[in-house]
Order: sequence, then structure tokens, then C-alpha cells
Amino acid sequence: MTAFAKNQWYVAAYGREIGRELLGRTFLDEPIAFYRAESDDQVIALADRCVHRRYPLTAGRLDGDTVVCGYHGFTYDTGGTCVFVPGQKRVPRTARVRSYPVVERDSLVWVWIGDPALADPGAVPRAPWLADPRWTTVGGMEPIDADYGLLVDNLLDLSHETYLHGGYIGTPEVAETPITTEVDEGAGVVRVSRHMDDAECPPFYARSTGIEGRITRWQDIEYHAPCLYLLHSRIAPVGVGPEPDGSDPNAFHVEITYAITPSTDRQVYDFWAVSRDFAQDDEEVSTFLHDLNRTVVLQDVAALNVLQKALDTEREGYQELSINIDTGGLAARRILARLAAEGEKTAPVVASP
Amino acid sequence: MSTPTAEVYRIDWLPGTDVLHGVCHCGAERTAEDPVELWQWMLAHPSGHHPAVPSEDQPTGHREEPRS
Repeated sequence: MTAFAKNQWYVAAYGREIGRELLGRTFLDEPIAFYRAESDDQVIALADRCVHRRYPLTAGRLDGDTVVCGYHGFTYDTGGTCVFVPGQKRVPRTARVRSYPVVERDSLVWVWIGDPALADPGAVPRAPWLADPRWTTVGGMEPIDADYGLLVDNLLDLSHETYLHGGYIGTPEVAETPITTEVDEGAGVVRVSRHMDDAECPPFYARSTGIEGRITRWQDIEYHAPCLYLLHSRIAPVGVGPEPDGSDPNAFHVEITYAITPSTDRQVYDFWAVSRDFAQDDEEVSTFLHDLNRTVVLQDVAALNVLQKALDTEREGYQELSINIDTGGLAARRILARLAAEGEKTAPVVASP
Repeated sequence: MSTPTAEVYRIDWLPGTDVLHGVCHCGAERTAEDPVELWQWMLAHPSGHHPAVPSEDQPTGHREEPRS
């Protein structure tokens, strides 16, 4: 399996998903309960296990800013400290659950998995279009029953669009066009670019932009390991490029954002969003892009579920074959391995209660 | 944010060929048809990227590595 990288920020949810009802999700094998505090609307993230008998807090209820365990009433404040136990006045000193650092930015809720002392909110990678009124965004999340590394492989090599997503976003030119790969080792960023000068326009872009005929299609991937994947997509009629001053008024721009958040060694949360700088108020375009991209995501879900099942039957040390299209994916795998090793080195020793 | 650094490795798939062309941040270059091999060479920096004693037929930063 792909090792988990601790001491990293991960997308936990869209901000709109977290409110005054408890939301439970598991990240890197750690079950976490989320809610918004009544007093200041801040997102709170606590370990989703009562310190008493490990009952999930998400099976309990909120009372103001506190969470009340649904089994025996142990009550926790926003920092995870137990402030009430039933039948006695003294709350044991060790009665607390872990609280997780959280940042809400660009409409996403990020959670820090690792040593809280190392959490730097400034290190959260950005996807500003998600919360920019000049862009219109549709999105969702689908869990996949697979090692998160399979989703990283999938997204770093878009040649699969031609075969798995043909008739939706894939055309022959995607698989045929050579890529350029750049790795910024220090920043932990992989960039993969594929610029198609004269390509068929797939339905995803034909129906949303209204372009008839062939297109110039640029795909510029920026993967901020381990979680955030950005695909800067530029679509224009063939031969139409940016202006000499760098502006690009005659092209359509779509920012496709994915967050790849490992849940367990056999599940990954696939957050996806499609942001556009055209037809911003057109509900029909929004519905079309949402439904078509969700269909594409579900094609990936089905494929990776099948692939994981097949890999589970393989003997240890099975062979793979990598070719030119895998140049970006191979780079991402190596960066993930390095981040995982670094996270292990600094991982805190957590005493079992 | 992931602040850009100077440690950038680049691999171009040369159009019209099956050849990959790698450029290390130190300036060393190499071509290959196997991305695994090319990354191994690239990420072994500085090993094999700057020969200790440059020679006429082996310019600095361009030493060929044996294929594994």
C-alpha cells in the first residue's frame, strides 16, 4: 500500500458540509468528528471516540459549543477537554479527546493529521477560484474503495481520459500528445503539462463553451503532494492563443480541483470541483458540468474499485511496467514516499488511554 | 503554501519520438526511453551528475550512466 504521509494538511470537507450536526470522517485511519461551534461558527475537529468506552462522539449530540457522548453523557468542549461526567463532581484529569488543527480556506476545510505543534496554517495550498465570485464552481465528493496511491496515479496520467472517459472528456489527442513533467522537490510539487494544438472538442467542453469544431486544449497539472491536485484547463478555437501581454480574453478557462484524502489503506475520499470563468450565471451549464463531471468521477471510482480488487489478489512484489505517460505519476509516488518517511520520523508517540 | 524552490527537475517527452529528455536543477542532462531509469538518474543527484575530473569526451554534467 501507499504509506500515509503524516504531518500534512488534508481536505476534510467542503465548508458547506459542516454545520450544527456532527459529521464523522476517517483520515489516515483516525476517526474524527466535525461540527461548527455555536458561539463563533468555527469548525471544530475532535477524535471521534469517547475517552470512556470509545463510543463514537458522532453518535451523540451537540449542546451549544460542546459535544455530549450519546452513551453515558461525557461532555467535551471545543478543545477536547471533558467538562462533565455523569454521577460525580470530579472529572478525571486525563479525560480528554484529541483535538485537531483546522483551517477553513477557499471554501475547503483542511485538517492537520500529525503533531499539532507542527501545524502551520500558512502551509495550506490554495485553490482561490473555489471561493472567488468571478468563477462559478460545481463539485462533490465520492469515496473510492482503493489505496489513495491509485487515485494519485490516475490523476497524474490523463492519457486514461482517452480510454476510460472517451465520449465525455477524452479524445484521441490526449493519449497521443507528449507531456512535460517538472518536479519541484523542495516544494513537493509535480507539474505535468500537455498542450494539444489541434484537438477534437469533447462534449464536456463543446456543450459548455459552445465551441464548434476543433480546439486548442491545454492541460496543466499542479499536484501539491499529498492532497491538492489542480488541473488548469484552457480551451480555445484552434490557433487562438493568449495575447502578447499575457491576458487571455478569447479562451475559456476551467480550473478542475481534486483533493485526494486517504481514509484507510483501502479507502480514499475523492473531492472534486469544476470552476469556470464563462457562462457564470447559466444554471444549465452548471447542471451540465456537474452531472458530466460526476459521471466521469464515477467512472474513475468504478475503475479503481476494480483495480484494487485485482491488486488484492496479486502476490507481494508483483510487477508493473511504466512508460512515458507515467513520468508524472512516478514522480508523485516518490514524493509521497519521501513525505511519508519524513512524517514517520517526527510522528509523536501517542500513549494509549 | 508550497513555496517554489530552486530544486526543479524537468523531463520533456520529445515530440515525434519515444525519447524522454531530463534536465537536473544542476544543469546535467540525459535522455532515455524509460521514465523509471531517467528518474533514478535524475534523483540520484549529485551522484553521476558532475564528474570529479571532467574530460574532453565527458563534459561536466553530461556523464552517461550505465543502464541497469
